[in-house]
Amino acid sequence: MTDHTVRSYDIELEALGRKIAEMGGIAEKMLSDAMDSLATHDSNLARSTVASDLRLDILQREIEEQAIMTIARRQPFAADLREIVAAIRISGDLERVGDLAKNIAKRALKLGAETRMQRAIVGLKSMHETAAMLLKDALDAYAMRDAERARQVWTNDVELDALEDSVFRDLLTFMMEDPRNISFCAHLLFVSKNIERIGDHSTNIAETVVYLVTGEVLPMDRPKGPSPASDLPQISK
Amino acid sequence: MTNTPNGKAADLPTKISVKDLRFFYASHLALKSINVPLYTNKVTALIGPSGCGKSTLLRVLNRMYDLYPRQRAEGEVLLDGENILDQKQDLNLLRARVGMVFQKPTPFPMSIYDNIAFGIKLYEKLPKSELDGRVENALRGAAIWDEVRDKLSASGLSLSGGQQQRLCIARTVAIHPEVILFDEPCSALDPISTAKVEELIDELKEKYTIAIVTHNMQQAARVSEYTAFMYLGELVEFAPTTQIFTAPENPRTQNYITGRFG
Repeated sequence: MTDHTVRSYDIELEALGRKIAEMGGIAEKMLSDAMDSLATHDSNLARSTVASDLRLDILQREIEEQAIMTIARRQPFAADLREIVAAIRISGDLERVGDLAKNIAKRALKLGAETRMQRAIVGLKSMHETAAMLLKDALDAYAMRDAERARQVWTNDVELDALEDSVFRDLLTFMMEDPRNISFCAHLLFVSKNIERIGDHSTNIAETVVYLVTGEVLPMDRPKGPSPASDLPQISK
Repeated sequence: MTNTPNGKAADLPTKISVKDLRFFYASHLALKSINVPLYTNKVTALIGPSGCGKSTLLRVLNRMYDLYPRQRAEGEVLLDGENILDQKQDLNLLRARVGMVFQKPTPFPMSIYDNIAFGIKLYEKLPKSELDGRVENALRGAAIWDEVRDKLSASGLSLSGGQQQRLCIARTVAIHPEVILFDEPCSALDPISTAKVEELIDELKEKYTIAIVTHNMQQAARVSEYTAFMYLGELVEFAPTTQIFTAPENPRTQNYITGRFG
């Protein structure tokens, strides 16, 4: 698109975009560090993950304040208006992704030296890979202003829902096999929920990107996987 | 047909339907085959850079251009289905049905009362008591009654700019028009007077069909339900205002309303 007649307007919008990109990078790193700290019992990594959430919060505030000022000063319309609304929404989603990654890191710290069942973590790893991919694709779609790619994220989240369902069953099975697994597996249940929520935020970002690029609002009924409560493994008598 | 309002025409009662309208200032073609509806009891904003033809279009809608030599319109402008470009059209009657408010307030150099009564007397012969009622109603309708009720005999020129503009609106509504055309009604007014006129437009649309030319995009977004974007004598895009200002279809519309033009 051509530049605005008022050059400083372009500078403001570009600054918003750069901050979103920085937030995206931090959120992605937090998620991967949190999962590593969980798998490898690296409490230093977990602590630094928790600490980096602060930067994310600061960036989100800055984006919001800047967006509000731009709305007040420029009364944006059309693509500019969508750009600013998108920045506000996406920064909110990324801030939440950071919170969820922080929760995972905190849980890694809480688990401390507790024995880790590697086979219980395997399912979470593939959830993590899927969620990280969704987040990356959503952020790339934002950077490239690629509505088609964003739509893909929107539909692909169903895979993450299906994975969560299967992790849920696995964890229940492990708990039933041996009550000593319960504490560890219960923590992992929360982690899986956190990852699933990160997928939802990635989908939100994707929806926002479609709106940003096309002005179109995606339908409410996103494709959904089975609910994890359905079809539970039965306790044998 | 060229220049159809890109498929966004709604299924609404139409007060004025502009069809394939071309307009000439001598040999210069100022409007190139315009097609646009004015929906009944809706506010339609005409926006576009200077010289795009929006005021020209407005001036065609009550044949204001007829006052000038060497200006002519071709095509159709249907008011309730009747072509007002027809040579048999009674222009006084037309301008009573399609009123106009200009950029600069234009009160007559006479009392506030007579500013309103003058127009009514042109069309109707009323007893004094009834005329008083009509004047009051018109001033009330233009949200200026409370400010002038105690000084109806004062000169219209003694009012502030914002009050003068509302006086002109009162003069327009006094003769019970069906359509009101506003040509940049607020560009000479301060923000509070602007807000009052906008509030008034919002009330007036209950009774009248309204078209407004404005350079103030925020104003177009605030007061109108439909917006037509014009450029170089062409209608580029006509759509619901919410759509024009959030997700316009045409890149030229987008560039104009976001301040990227040229």
